[in-house]
Amino acid sequence: MTRPPGRADVMFHPLVWIALLFVALPFVAGVNPFVGQWSGFVGIATTMVIFALFASGFNLLFGHVGELSFGHAMFFSIGAYITALYTLHVGGPLGGNLIVALVLALVTALLWAWLLARIIVPRSSGIYFSMITLAFAQVIFFISYRWSELTGGEDGLQNIARPTLFGADLLRDSTHFYWFAAAIVFLALCGLYWIIASPFGSVLHAIRENKQRARFLGYDVDKYRVNAFVLSAIFPAIAGWLWTYYQQAINPDAGSVGYSGNVVMMSVLGGYQTILGPILGASVYYELQNNVSQLTKYWEAWVGIVFALFVLLGPRGIMGLVDDIRHYGIATALERIFSRRARVVTDMQEELPPVDEETAHSAPPARAAGEPAP
Amino acid sequence: MLSGPQLLDQFVNGVTLGMLYILVALGLNIILGLMGVINFSHGAFFMLGAYLMYQFEHSVGFWAAILIAAVLVGVLGMAFESTLIRPLYRRIPEYTLLLTFGTALIFAQICRRVWGDDAVRVDTPAYIPQSISLFGLQYPFYRGFFLVLVTIVILAAVWLLLNKTNIGIIIRAGTRDAEMVKILGINMPRMFTLVFGIGSLMAGLAGALAAPIYAIQPSLASQWIVLTFVIVIVGGIGSFWGAIVGGLIIGIVTSFMALLWPPAVEMTGYMIMGLILLVRPRGLFGVEGLFE
Repeated sequence: MTRPPGRADVMFHPLVWIALLFVALPFVAGVNPFVGQWSGFVGIATTMVIFALFASGFNLLFGHVGELSFGHAMFFSIGAYITALYTLHVGGPLGGNLIVALVLALVTALLWAWLLARIIVPRSSGIYFSMITLAFAQVIFFISYRWSELTGGEDGLQNIARPTLFGADLLRDSTHFYWFAAAIVFLALCGLYWIIASPFGSVLHAIRENKQRARFLGYDVDKYRVNAFVLSAIFPAIAGWLWTYYQQAINPDAGSVGYSGNVVMMSVLGGYQTILGPILGASVYYELQNNVSQLTKYWEAWVGIVFALFVLLGPRGIMGLVDDIRHYGIATALERIFSRRARVVTDMQEELPPVDEETAHSAPPARAAGEPAP
Repeated sequence: MLSGPQLLDQFVNGVTLGMLYILVALGLNIILGLMGVINFSHGAFFMLGAYLMYQFEHSVGFWAAILIAAVLVGVLGMAFESTLIRPLYRRIPEYTLLLTFGTALIFAQICRRVWGDDAVRVDTPAYIPQSISLFGLQYPFYRGFFLVLVTIVILAAVWLLLNKTNIGIIIRAGTRDAEMVKILGINMPRMFTLVFGIGSLMAGLAGALAAPIYAIQPSLASQWIVLTFVIVIVGGIGSFWGAIVGGLIIGIVTSFMALLWPPAVEMTGYMIMGLILLVRPRGLFGVEGLFE
């Protein structure tokens, strides 16, 4: 299912692709040829970059450790609510400071993540883990929904001022805010890339591929999984912090099953075992939402259909498709989507050892039985 | 502070809720135990049961509508399994969860399209009594008596099916080791479809039975699926008695919480789940070795 990243055949470093995407987004986000909308919306672009970070954090766990969490919106929600509460209630010299808000949001989210990880990670894996994370996320959702005195209940909190930057009111303008958010998200993604590319990340990949084998190699698998869980909470919390400032309001939906599910869909759409996948997925998801919702108010059904088709036919997502097209050409890539036989045959050819010169002359290249000559 | 009738009332409410939880969770649990996959659309099947009950109630009458709704959802479940889920058995179980999450979105939107965003209601027929008196106490007839009776009958039927028939032996053996059962010459794909149908039928039946009690709206699906997960975790994956005990505990404790501390009603189930996970991660009746 997974192919080694093969650094040589990547055109640019993934971080370069991310930077290019973020520069392009304000001009292309929300473009809809069907209604003649040719210029981008900076607001949609902001949503895209914030959710790119949220989805990437979730995907550290799903794509790189292999544990599907259906509750990562809780960290997003915690980050968002802590930022909102701090901005609304703390005055004086430390009031309205965006760094203090970020630190508070991160500390709270990490404490909760660590507590949760200690309880659920050693006790569950696979779909059991998905069910439990979903249920615990509901705890955060209902706290924000029911504790009206603190969180404003169903209506949430409004009128949250955007912070000042270098003592100036730079972030009020939505274009400025986009570049601010994109810069923060890019920095955070650099950190995430560093984690995944580090030896720690390699151990995570080993756990994903074969937990048993990683254990026999002497790695404390549960410790790595707990650490990965806690690390994966950082990025949704940062995204929540940005989200509060962007929306200048927050409501319990931020922690709902829907939000948790959205990042799952984004990661799968983009390709969950890649760095770029969730980022691309977030953009595609919001582009799809924006364009389809102009046609029908039941847009969620169409998003669901696209997602279900990807799960059924192209579980490696858009990145997988791109990879296949570059590798096999368009015709074979399309064949691989619809025919299991084509997938098996091309995968088998992939895994064959290179034929050395002597045997190459005497015997035809090994090929799966029944496969016509190319 | 709390009067006798008030307590009894909450107890009946709790049992009502518990009965519906049991039906939904048991359906999910049988599927999960045998096939090792989670159906995220199970809550959507519950909701469809309620909507179909509403749809047919005018034309065929109250009792027949319950039956038709349940059977239709069961048939839908079988079609769903054999077309969409079957291709995913070769992959890791997470893919089924992902796919059924997507289809749950689609089902919710279809219900919005067909029956609208606003809640619809079904009334119990005028000729059935409001309440029934047993042992000198008054019980609401539909919720406190009929629903409990139907659930017990269904549970007995499922128990007999699982324990006294050949199909049941295959299902229980398949829960332990599906591969081995397949090698022994049993047509497992057909078995999976059948079990999926039974599970979906129970969700549809619970939905149809719940239709006169709750407002029927598109958000029903997501509310119920999460609670169903909680019950399965508390009771233990793949366990018949686990679903029953889990459903009853959560139903009753939730109802009493409504008296003690109303803001925490929705939290009750999750608190119980957290406690269970700490002391017994595989759930009260969990089978050893499943998902550990």
